[in-house]
Amino acid sequence: MDALATPAQLLVGGLLTGLVFALVAVGLTLIYGVMDVVNFAHGEYLMLAMYATLALALLGIGPLVGLPLVAIALFLFGIVVYRVFIRRLLAGPPEATVFGTFGMLVLLQGLAQATLTSDYQSIPNPPFHGTIRVGAIAVSQATLIEGIGALVLTAALFAFVEFTETGRAMRAVAEDRIAATLMGIDVQRINGLAFGIGAACVGAAGALLMLSYPVYPTVGAAFALTAFVVVALGGFGSIQGALVGALLVGLLEVFGGFYLSPELKLVPVYLAYLIVVLLRPQGLLGRR
Amino acid sequence: MRAHLIALGAIVVVVAAAVFGLRSAVALDLLFTLLLYAVLGQSWNWISGYGGNISFGHAIFFGCGAYASALCVTHGLSPWLAIPAGALVAALLAIVTGFPTLALRGHYFSIATIAVAALVDAFVRTTPWLGKATGFELPIAPGWATMQFPQKGTYVALALILFAAVQLATMALERSRMGYYLRALRANHAAAAAVGIDERRVKLVAFAWSATMAAVAGVLYAQYTLFVDPPSTIALAISIDIALIGVVGGIGTLWGPAVGALVYVVLAKAVALQLGGAGKGYDLVIYGAIICLIAALRPYGIVGTIVDALRRRRGAEAAA
Repeated sequence: MDALATPAQLLVGGLLTGLVFALVAVGLTLIYGVMDVVNFAHGEYLMLAMYATLALALLGIGPLVGLPLVAIALFLFGIVVYRVFIRRLLAGPPEATVFGTFGMLVLLQGLAQATLTSDYQSIPNPPFHGTIRVGAIAVSQATLIEGIGALVLTAALFAFVEFTETGRAMRAVAEDRIAATLMGIDVQRINGLAFGIGAACVGAAGALLMLSYPVYPTVGAAFALTAFVVVALGGFGSIQGALVGALLVGLLEVFGGFYLSPELKLVPVYLAYLIVVLLRPQGLLGRR
Repeated sequence: MRAHLIALGAIVVVVAAAVFGLRSAVALDLLFTLLLYAVLGQSWNWISGYGGNISFGHAIFFGCGAYASALCVTHGLSPWLAIPAGALVAALLAIVTGFPTLALRGHYFSIATIAVAALVDAFVRTTPWLGKATGFELPIAPGWATMQFPQKGTYVALALILFAAVQLATMALERSRMGYYLRALRANHAAAAAVGIDERRVKLVAFAWSATMAAVAGVLYAQYTLFVDPPSTIALAISIDIALIGVVGGIGTLWGPAVGALVYVVLAKAVALQLGGAGKGYDLVIYGAIICLIAALRPYGIVGTIVDALRRRRGAEAAA
């Protein structure tokens, strides 16, 4: 029994970590799927969302109440970014979107470093701090809430894209932009919505993460790198793929951190990325 | 071509004069940094500008040179030996990692470079003979054999030689068969492949040369600072800086990286002077804004825009 306790503990930890990665990654994959843009600034959006949650918490609004507010704020931010910036990039050569979102990463990163302290900051009075025990497995309440919240929101996004009229329009644009235009779909509107929703997902993820993580100006980098790997593993543009990829990455990271060493925890993750893109570039669940 | 040679000659003369004339350590330090960044930017430009495979992990090749230098010195060898050794290791690393990844398109390649760089970083940080996370502090021993000089001017002169060599090599690339192949591949890889251009071979050669240049710059850097550790050589932040310099000046142009390095160094210095330590981050805001503007309005950077304007004027004159 004891020999199995550690792997079981790691399994649960890995899956819960993976669920949060999934919520960060679905935003990225939705944006990519609809408009072929890899948002290199995605991690910085997460950083913005975490600081927004912190600010609300300092005003006395807890992360779970703050979550919809932060998600809406990021949604509006995403729409504005699409309208004034991404739309122009799409009109340029293909490299423009890589450079443009990279520029945005540098800009937001600089803003955070210039205006905020580089100290790690956590929310005052985190609402969940106990541990739940099931047999030999212990899970912190905060991590459990984060994982469940992320799963619910990821499922909600999937249902939205799969079953609503707007979601259908998004899939149509993803499939064939020109045909979608001919069917009377306003591609600019759909692109803007998709970018906004992608940002809202990472906004919600940021709010959830503040339950157990501290925020600091460069917090986005680690999450963004993981999100790229997740999205590539699952197949760029595939929401189910992102969920599967995220769970896999969560497990790799937690098991890697335990059996190798904490500083090597990302090594299996990156190796997995390289192996998958070389052997199966469309990702585990992607189609080409 | 002649205009480019004259421009390069003029730069060499002016910088050489500055080396003899300037006594200010700060000014010489700026000049050294400028030349080193220009070389790194050009190195990046070979694979990412001319080749069109955007790398966000270029610092590992710079690191090859810096670590080769540190290893030579700590094993009692001359750091001059690190130039061929570091370059060879960097070229091999480029070939080994490039062989599978260069065929990847767009963001797949870019993310693969981040992954490879992160793996190299993890390897260095956990390998005792590479100094782990602490790195190496090189002992002070001035002399030509140890590539350590009491005058900063000597380092600037070496950096100038390297810069001139890299610019000449790039001029040669622009006029060579390989240069045309690279441009053809970037414009339309399917069409280029259809006329028989071997994409993998051409890009591997470009990548290997690109890595070589960065490695030589790494050797010079290590001997200049006498300190080598992961954050100062192979970290993601350094890779981002190199890409930044390449993008700001203009990708796939001869002078783009030099202009990018100039903008980078001048801005960094100006921000530091204006705001001191508190200015951390403001320079990033400005670079970020420049890159965003360029990407949205003029995707080929400062030099690309000038080249475009000149062409249009020439066209207008020809038409008149």
